[in-house]
Amino acid sequence: MADVSAANNNSMSHRDSLIRSLADGSYHSGEDLATSLGVTRAAVWKQIKKLGSLGLQVESERGRGYRLAAPIELLDQERLRATCLLGNGACLEALDVFLEIDSTNAFLVRNRSVSQNSLRVCCAEYQTLGRGRRERKWITPWGSGLCLSVAWCFSGSPRDLSALTLATGVIVRRVVHAVTQADIRLKWPNDLVWRDRKLGGILIEMTAESHGLCQVVIGIGLNVSLSDQVMRTLCDWPAGAVDLSTIMGGQVPSRNALAASLINELSSLLSDYEHAGFAPYAAEWRASDCLLNKEVSVMDARNEVSGFARGISDDGALLLELSSGSLKRIVAGDVSVRVS
Amino acid sequence: MDIRKVKKLIELLEESGIAEIEISEGEESVRISRYPQGGFPTVTMAPAGPAPVAMQPAAAAGQPASAPEVPEAPPSGTRIEAPMVGTYYGSPSPGSKPFVEVGTVVNEGDTLCIIEAMKMMNQIEAEVSGRITSVLAENGDPVEFGQALFIIE
Repeated sequence: MADVSAANNNSMSHRDSLIRSLADGSYHSGEDLATSLGVTRAAVWKQIKKLGSLGLQVESERGRGYRLAAPIELLDQERLRATCLLGNGACLEALDVFLEIDSTNAFLVRNRSVSQNSLRVCCAEYQTLGRGRRERKWITPWGSGLCLSVAWCFSGSPRDLSALTLATGVIVRRVVHAVTQADIRLKWPNDLVWRDRKLGGILIEMTAESHGLCQVVIGIGLNVSLSDQVMRTLCDWPAGAVDLSTIMGGQVPSRNALAASLINELSSLLSDYEHAGFAPYAAEWRASDCLLNKEVSVMDARNEVSGFARGISDDGALLLELSSGSLKRIVAGDVSVRVS
Repeated sequence: MDIRKVKKLIELLEESGIAEIEISEGEESVRISRYPQGGFPTVTMAPAGPAPVAMQPAAAAGQPASAPEVPEAPPSGTRIEAPMVGTYYGSPSPGSKPFVEVGTVVNEGDTLCIIEAMKMMNQIEAEVSGRITSVLAENGDPVEFGQALFIIE
């Protein structure tokens, strides 16, 4: 067994080195790649064939070699460390960048910490078990999105933390708006939306620790540069998904710069949230509410209710006006706009 | 009154959207009412008798803050309570095996369930090691702060 796993690790590291070599988007001959990887040309060819299954498009041309259809700016641990300016004196406890991982959220949940006022960050080029609400699959092709998670320990009770998910939506929207200057909206509780298409999502996982601490792991998935086919099939929204490159007219923003802005803004949010709460973010959330006054359905684990979305309460619950005229507070469920 | 009949009535209430029903049967009467917000039913059983006696528990059932009186948690064992308002999930994803069932032996720190509020998934862990003797919520139930979810002995 040990031999098999060593062989797997070996072939994985060859694959990673291969992707690193090809990331610049220019042609590399099979021979050069074989030399730099220390393997045969046949082995290079075998690895190249496998890249397709990760969603990487490789082009080959006789006499010139192989290249990626589009260059990828790889996430760079050193660059991220250098550009992170955490807010409010929070310190960066750890920053891990993976080429491939099961899920950045799962990594931080597994590697718990109880240090306070310190942020742990994990990002990855590819998640094999990327997921959203209720374990729904969320897998984007290698290097095409930004998968970033941060972990933070609160001393407060989880009871007061629910609206943190909405505040996180406000922060991510702010960062994306600064890059795109586009009309990015929020769909309760915190999906990022551009013209009815899903740009990204946020999933927060919380575990109560002993001695009254609770660890929060915030996972953010943003579509950066996807193929049209992936955008159509990535999510079940009627208008499908969208990526930043489409919004920005074909320009692909720097993922390292995006990640650094997110880390900095999230650190300010997290270090402030315990005393400030959701109030400083509520107005901004409301101004970006894409469901306001629309007729919607909310599906929870058991049933479906419909009504008109009438904004949010001060603690972040969705207010649904039922046909009886009464307002129902919604704290969980999938909301979809009714097409009549 | 037969507990199965009461259960049936609760299901009926849940499906119908009616806020409250009261049924009298000979000596007994049962009144089931929903919380105005949470949507989980409260059951009050009282002997049908002179009006003042029957009225008192019925009035108590109408108060939103009162805890459900039935089923009552067994006195022994450790109660695991909901730390927040939200939706209860007994399994990691729809259709998958529940984290625990009655009889499951758990260690301190094992995940018992998830409570979701606004896409924040809160993993509730066992505070003590032991055997699960009661599971007091069902998948998809709205739960209130402090509501008992499990008993571990």
